[in-house]
Amino acid sequence: MPLFDISGLHYRYAGAQADALADLDLEVNEGEFVAVVGANGSGKSTLARLLGGLEKPTAARRALACGHDLLVEDGRMAARRDVGVLFQNPENQLVAQCVEDDVAFGLENLAWPAADIGHRVDEMLARFGLEELRRREPHMLSGGQKQRTALAGVIAVPRRVLVLDEPTAMLDPAARDEVLIAVREMRGEGLAIVYVTQEMDETVGADRVVALERGTEAYAGAASGLFADTALVRRLGLGLPAAGELALALAEQGRDLPGLPLTMDELLDALGGAT
Amino acid sequence: MSSLEVLAGAASDKSRAPGSAGMRLVCGGASFSYEEARAPIPALCDVTFELRPGGSLALMGASGSGKSTLLQVIRGLDAPESGAVLLDGAGPADVGYADLQREVGLVFQAPELQLFASTARDDVAFGPRRLGWPEAQVTSVVDAALDVVGLPSARFAERHPYALSGGEQRRLALAGVLAMRPRLLLLDEPFVSLDPGTRRQLVGILERLKAAGVTLLLATHDVDLAWALCDELLVLGEGRVVVAGPWDFSTAGGHLLAANRLREPFLVELWRRLGRDPQRAPRSAAEAAEALS
Amino acid sequence: MKATIAQYYAGDSLLHRRDPRAKFVAVSGLAVALFVRDSFAGLAVYAAAATLAYALSGVPLVWFWRAFRPLLWLVALTFFAQAVFAPGEPFFSFGFVHLSWRGLELAAFLSLRLVVLVLVGSVLTLTTPSIALTDGLAWLGRPLRRLRVPTDELALMVTIALRFIPTLLVELDTIMRAQRARGADFRRGGLRERTRSLVPVLVPLFVLSFRRADELALAMEARCYRPGAVRTRLHPLRARWSDAVLLVATAAVIAAGLLV
Repeated sequence: MPLFDISGLHYRYAGAQADALADLDLEVNEGEFVAVVGANGSGKSTLARLLGGLEKPTAARRALACGHDLLVEDGRMAARRDVGVLFQNPENQLVAQCVEDDVAFGLENLAWPAADIGHRVDEMLARFGLEELRRREPHMLSGGQKQRTALAGVIAVPRRVLVLDEPTAMLDPAARDEVLIAVREMRGEGLAIVYVTQEMDETVGADRVVALERGTEAYAGAASGLFADTALVRRLGLGLPAAGELALALAEQGRDLPGLPLTMDELLDALGGAT
Repeated sequence: MSSLEVLAGAASDKSRAPGSAGMRLVCGGASFSYEEARAPIPALCDVTFELRPGGSLALMGASGSGKSTLLQVIRGLDAPESGAVLLDGAGPADVGYADLQREVGLVFQAPELQLFASTARDDVAFGPRRLGWPEAQVTSVVDAALDVVGLPSARFAERHPYALSGGEQRRLALAGVLAMRPRLLLLDEPFVSLDPGTRRQLVGILERLKAAGVTLLLATHDVDLAWALCDELLVLGEGRVVVAGPWDFSTAGGHLLAANRLREPFLVELWRRLGRDPQRAPRSAAEAAEALS
Repeated sequence: MKATIAQYYAGDSLLHRRDPRAKFVAVSGLAVALFVRDSFAGLAVYAAAATLAYALSGVPLVWFWRAFRPLLWLVALTFFAQAVFAPGEPFFSFGFVHLSWRGLELAAFLSLRLVVLVLVGSVLTLTTPSIALTDGLAWLGRPLRRLRVPTDELALMVTIALRFIPTLLVELDTIMRAQRARGADFRRGGLRERTRSLVPVLVPLFVLSFRRADELALAMEARCYRPGAVRTRLHPLRARWSDAVLLVATAAVIAAGLLV
């Protein structure tokens, strides 16, 4: 059974003139790492919330998250248990007065016995390198530490799939690396992940990429396919690493490179070594 | 007069002497600590550097290294405990220092903490009005500032600041500072959480301001953007200066950058690996593409 | 950044380990007794008990001073008002100032009572982290649920509010700095002008807070929070025999103070 089985998904904000998401299909299976890319306003954050059972779809032919029907209130409530969602702003996800209590929050909501909560929290703190920050208050944490705490809190509840909505957008490079390493580790353990981002270099290693443009699907398929279509990438307005920017600039000068390089090495290869 | 000229001053602008666009900044041994319950926390220690009029300096360093503190001390929001910040050669004890401080613009990192009025126009007008300028001049600089940041008054003046997108808010906050006609512009991490399109736009705006002669001091952790916009580099480590001066990509310079966890700008490394002189590497993708074609 | 409200001093003393509910009841009882009893003898008993409690808490004295200092003016005012205006045979008069022994006695009593009250309250707040105190109060307030008062939700609201106070203070400071950088001067002018200059400071803070509330609610729902649902705690409140001992001891002290 797929973790996400979505067909014909529509979402429109109250009072809006147009759909924020229109006729979207999405299937995600166990262990997959799917990147959802799009510029501001493409609907990717709306999709993330819908996948987490946090919003009600306006309409859909089928909208199942881990077998729960997202069109029904009970289904959405159940989906919140199986689908973890991490948001962009680390500050506005931390609820408790210290790291330990925040990581415990989800389990407290599920009425786990105190001893079990304690064990699980210890496990999460160890896993995300937060043991020394156990009793630290949120305002004393760096951006990366806050986001790791939020992630630990989301994963503390055993999940079947994780949705990350631009988790590094507000972080400096050091913090960004911390979070990306943690995500890679979870991926390595086989957790299915839907990674929503504007930055192409965060899609590296994805099994599939879905590109959104104004609420509709502009591309769905292998990452390499998207990278090969430089015209599409430019139209989508995504963030490219420096190598990609240069490739696009060269294309504008009339020098098309085969495919879109994301790293220095790929660029040098494409340029054919030293000129 | 173009909007830029209204803001940066042109030869025909009587209120500003020709060629005086950029301010000269000298920081001499500035030190500053934060008061805390148990013991003061040193934030800046003996920071010394110079920035010539019209120059551009990238301020880099890890989180907590003192970048924001330094910018606020330069603007005068905090007074250094020792050492001094000299603006156009004048120190705190000199007459007219306060006026010079008002010609230093500081744009903070989070736009939502800087916007508060009910229309974009009123928000941008806040600074000029505080300076006591006549209403006609206020209107003129507000329109110019909105124009320079790509939020033309015809479309944006009456919009509510909080109804704007993140990128628009960032630019509006910049407009609010530009309207005060700063001769030294300090920017605290202006590119964080900006989408790629707005990032490019902002780089363009800063390049135009630079070309108009405004002195630029940009705190950023993005080494490629620093390379694109700035001639010189100042790196702080735990409140102290660890690197200061023009970009240096010699072996020694490279070691110094690496020691401070800064990689070489992408285009510099590319030039090096293509067997070309890294010191002459292009500043932007467009420049690089031209050089390679 | 400084101060949280309900200042807590981490420690492992006898009092730190007590259940917050027991402590709250004990402190409330003492506070009531303080106001019921009108004699120096009673006050002395309570003062001694409070001092002993403070000593047992292991908290350095300077922390009490920090809690007390803001109220020094109130104590001084009480003393002065009573000393000067209380009825009694004056031994010294100057204009409207009539000092009498009785007045001075009353002034001393009332001032001392205030000090003891603050001391007792400090023992509670210094040895009890705010989250434990909120949990304790939520438990004690459970009967109110029958009157449809959402005590658990209120307790969570208080915890969240306390969590964000330091963050809000930093943001407030940044907002003011940004405006100062654009020429605002918060120290200038009379009361009206200064109040008016605070409006542009509060607006972004409010907007930020509303947006924060939306995002936080979403994050909480994503972690399966449901208002009204039964929740467990990582550190549940556990009453022990020693808490009963505390209550009995406090009752004894109250009685002693009333009977002396």
